[in-house]
Amino acid sequence: MSGFIRTVSSRPCSRRRPEGLILGLALVLTGCAADAELDTFQDQSETARQINDLAIPVFIVAGVVLVLVCGAILWMSVKNRVPADDDYEGEFPTQVSHNNRLEIGWTLGPFVIMVVIAVATLVTHLAINSTEANAIEIQVEVDGEDGKEGKVVTWEPRVVVVGQQWWWEYRYYLTKDITTDDLGDPWNLPEADIVTAGQMVIPTGEEVELIITSRDVIHSHWIPALNGKKDAVPGLYTPWKIEADEPGVYFGQCTEFCGLSHSRMRMQAVAVTPSAFQEWIHAQMTPATMPTDENSAEYRGMQVFSNFCASCHLINGLNDSDYNGAETVSGSAPDLTHFAGRTTFAGGVFNTYNPDGSLNDDDLAAWIRNPDDVKENYADDLPEGALPRGMPDMGLSERQIDDVIALLATLGPRPTAAQILATEVE
Amino acid sequence: MTITEPTTEGPKTEGPLELESGREALAERPLGVLTRPQGGRGWRDWLSTVDHKKIGIMYGVSAMVFFVVGGIEALLIRLQLAVPNGGVLSADVYNQVFTMHGVTMVFLFIMPLAAAFANYLIPLQIGARDVAFPRLNALSYWVWLSGAIFLNSSWIVGGGGADCGWFCYSPNSGVTFSPSHGVDFYAIGLLIAGIASLVSAINLIVTCLNMRAPGMDLFRMPVMTWMLLITQFLLLFALPVITVALFLLMFDRLFDASFFNPDAGADPLLWQHLFWIFGHPEVYIIILPAFGVVSEVIPTFSRKPIFGYTFMVFSGIAIGFMGWGVWAHHMFVSGIGPISVAAFSLSTMFIAVPTGVKVLNWLATMWGGQIRFTTAMLFAVGTVAMFTIGGLSGVTHALAPADTQQTDTYYIVAHFHYVIFGGGVLGLMGGLYYWWPKIFGYMLNERRGKINFWLMLIGFNLTFGPMHILGLQGMSRRIDTYSSGFGFEFWNMVATIGSFIIAVSVVVLFHNIWKSKREAADLPPPGPDPWDARSLEWMVPSPVPEHNFDEVPTVEGLDEWWHRKYSFDDDGRVVQIATAEEAAQDGSAKGVHLPAPSFWPLVLAVGLPLIGYGLIFNLWLCVPGGLLVGMGIFAWALEPVDDPDATHDHHDDDHGDDDDDHDDTASAPVAPGDDTASAPVAPGEQQGGE
Repeated sequence: MSGFIRTVSSRPCSRRRPEGLILGLALVLTGCAADAELDTFQDQSETARQINDLAIPVFIVAGVVLVLVCGAILWMSVKNRVPADDDYEGEFPTQVSHNNRLEIGWTLGPFVIMVVIAVATLVTHLAINSTEANAIEIQVEVDGEDGKEGKVVTWEPRVVVVGQQWWWEYRYYLTKDITTDDLGDPWNLPEADIVTAGQMVIPTGEEVELIITSRDVIHSHWIPALNGKKDAVPGLYTPWKIEADEPGVYFGQCTEFCGLSHSRMRMQAVAVTPSAFQEWIHAQMTPATMPTDENSAEYRGMQVFSNFCASCHLINGLNDSDYNGAETVSGSAPDLTHFAGRTTFAGGVFNTYNPDGSLNDDDLAAWIRNPDDVKENYADDLPEGALPRGMPDMGLSERQIDDVIALLATLGPRPTAAQILATEVE
Repeated sequence: MTITEPTTEGPKTEGPLELESGREALAERPLGVLTRPQGGRGWRDWLSTVDHKKIGIMYGVSAMVFFVVGGIEALLIRLQLAVPNGGVLSADVYNQVFTMHGVTMVFLFIMPLAAAFANYLIPLQIGARDVAFPRLNALSYWVWLSGAIFLNSSWIVGGGGADCGWFCYSPNSGVTFSPSHGVDFYAIGLLIAGIASLVSAINLIVTCLNMRAPGMDLFRMPVMTWMLLITQFLLLFALPVITVALFLLMFDRLFDASFFNPDAGADPLLWQHLFWIFGHPEVYIIILPAFGVVSEVIPTFSRKPIFGYTFMVFSGIAIGFMGWGVWAHHMFVSGIGPISVAAFSLSTMFIAVPTGVKVLNWLATMWGGQIRFTTAMLFAVGTVAMFTIGGLSGVTHALAPADTQQTDTYYIVAHFHYVIFGGGVLGLMGGLYYWWPKIFGYMLNERRGKINFWLMLIGFNLTFGPMHILGLQGMSRRIDTYSSGFGFEFWNMVATIGSFIIAVSVVVLFHNIWKSKREAADLPPPGPDPWDARSLEWMVPSPVPEHNFDEVPTVEGLDEWWHRKYSFDDDGRVVQIATAEEAAQDGSAKGVHLPAPSFWPLVLAVGLPLIGYGLIFNLWLCVPGGLLVGMGIFAWALEPVDDPDATHDHHDDDHGDDDDDHDDTASAPVAPGDDTASAPVAPGEQQGGE
């Protein structure tokens, strides 16, 4: 995949608005110079800019009011101060009890300010809740009469986002037009062309509609650089949208408290150029190639996967024929078909690769060895009849763990070096 | 906090209340167990008291205990978040701790501390001898305490605290997702505490409406009383909503109901609506009492009347009223439609208008005044400034689009702590310093008080100020840890340091209470009116005698007490016409008839948590619990109306009628209507002046 012009973390701080001075101060305070991948002021899309264009002037108005109030308090504290001891016997000040004109004035004044703010708010509110009718042409391969055949489809960019404890699933429907009405309940979604976990890939410059739901508790999908957040509610499809100006990796975090590992439920939106997006689609729609050399670690890893992992995880090309969802509370587990094509795993928390591009097998091994150790979940020592929430400790030997990692490493295609670097936050 | 029983201090063991005769007659009561206790000394007096002042003190002491509990939970949170990948608490324990921190601070600290002020001050400020229903008042306290202890007992017997957040959104609060008993304790504990608040709200509303002294029109009530009255109305209407929600939650969890189970077709947003229809008025329930304190303290220490009394009262009413129309601003991103979001966005913005009026009127009260910066005044002015910050950040997320970035981040945590801590807690702390001499008869040391104030103000701003930045930087709420590299490290460390400065300031407060008490013996007593204040509670001795007023005062205007000390000369200048000592009552009235104590509220309150444990662990436990409740109610109803001998006292006593010119039912030393219809003098009769 190509097209990584720059990443968020390497982007210099710059603003183009006249409120630069105050913003500069705000950015110093928010530590813009360092990594601030979730910073709401580092907007990278039209929607996020519209929000800040509304919020920042209001911050300034609020700041002015605050300075006036605190200034008045300080001024009176100096000017009107008398000794605090209770035998102070100075002459009383004029006993003013009220002034209706003044009080009506400072009822109406804030009212008028609020009306102005309200109008601006409504305008922005309508803008960020509107959707644009866009469509892009995508080359896909579908089953034809003579095996696979190429076909161009018109895709209205739309991703179904499904939250569950404690990771996000992204579903792309390219070959069929899916609206909210077609989705049914979130536990039995129609089969999608592409299913990925923890990372959502979007083409730059296109508004992508999100249909957000949940399979267990309420979560909230938030990628601050691209847009505000929207809750994922079980049984409800909430519409939202997302868009990125430039290629990059944009960080997100579940923001509705969703239980034990709420803090470790993260995600990234990976924005790529339209041509790179076409490549990504092609790769994702291709099933994984399974190892054939029986003496290879990958082959043994495949056997371990079939024995221990396949009851929950899916690898297209391995267990898709007899896969019936996961034995978990949400009924789902991340689709691993293109595991190594993503730069993070386990709910967007751990990096799949080290900065030098090598596989991060330390974290991978630790995760497979005992998931609860590195990301708390409820999957082990469950009461009778309870389903796990998260990945249980499968009791694999070190050898088995290494073999599974060897298999997972083949599930590409490998992301670009720029992408791997952009995933580093430190 | 050390509380000395007022009965043991001062020269009033001879006291105004000659119940001694009643005590002698005890053995001759025909009804045996159903005779009324005679109060007496020591702990038994506190367990059976129906005196609004003692109940207020007990509310205050208990609230401070839970302040420490919630504060320790807060410090644990800050320790965990001081550095990235903190290892102080596990994720599970962290979730319990932040949940219980919120629940404790809201339901077990601020609300009861405000209730302490409401109980203690409302009767005094309106010139009454007690609340309308003294035994119900005791019931409120004991039921609240039993709910509070029940709620916290889940740490010991419930396998940990609730782990669903104070807002406890479904379906995360369901058994599947929160299998421990914590949420059961949350639901039932808050149900029990809710009974207390509801009973107390009705009691105090009736008190304000029916028990005012002659001439005390509604619009002569101090702003404090007004704010407390509005608070009680908010409680009256808000608590039934949360009660319904908690009841449904309890049934979901304990009896497999499906009110909030999306698998069974339930709408998880139902809980959110119910919770926030309660939860938003709750914000004003917390903040309005503090507004009341500020509205008393600032005029006193500016030597001016409150500026724009009418606007202050009506803006309070407007806030209370509008507070019902903004709940969905907690749900801007929850999936409610864009039209709803727009409507609630607008309604939320305009609640800033009456709030702004209050701030500006406080400033106008100080304007041109003579400001004495006592500790109480420092806290009051600090409240105005800090609340203004919280109010302004509130406006920034009334903008629904901006809120999509801000909600559920630390920006919100900063906002509501500026409102609840910066407004509510600082305000009530000011109230503590202001009314302390009135309640306990000695002054809190001012120098230590000022250290207390500045440490708290600095610590508060260091803790919660940085959270604005953290939130806008994208730090989510309710996360048990964060990774390095997102730029959260520095300000989290600052916040943790700030939280420990707050802790030190609280230690200074307790030290001040203890040390000032010890020093008080060598200092002159504060007298009835140490601050040169304005409302009626300052015309009675400090500490307040059990019967409050020797003689119920006749009120001729706003700031009645101030006008008994000062008048205006022909040039409109203020001249003193009497010193506080001259104008005040000396508390020497004897034989004032007061409602007799009762143990039944306590008995009833003990039964409720037993029912709670029964619902959770074994339904058989409900039997003794139910029996205690039933017995409490029956015995309460059958309890003799009052101590027969005290009634005799009352009829023989001719005190108080000679030296005033209003009708004698108003000033007669009668009981503030007991909560039984056949009280010797019905409440209505007392209120001849209405």
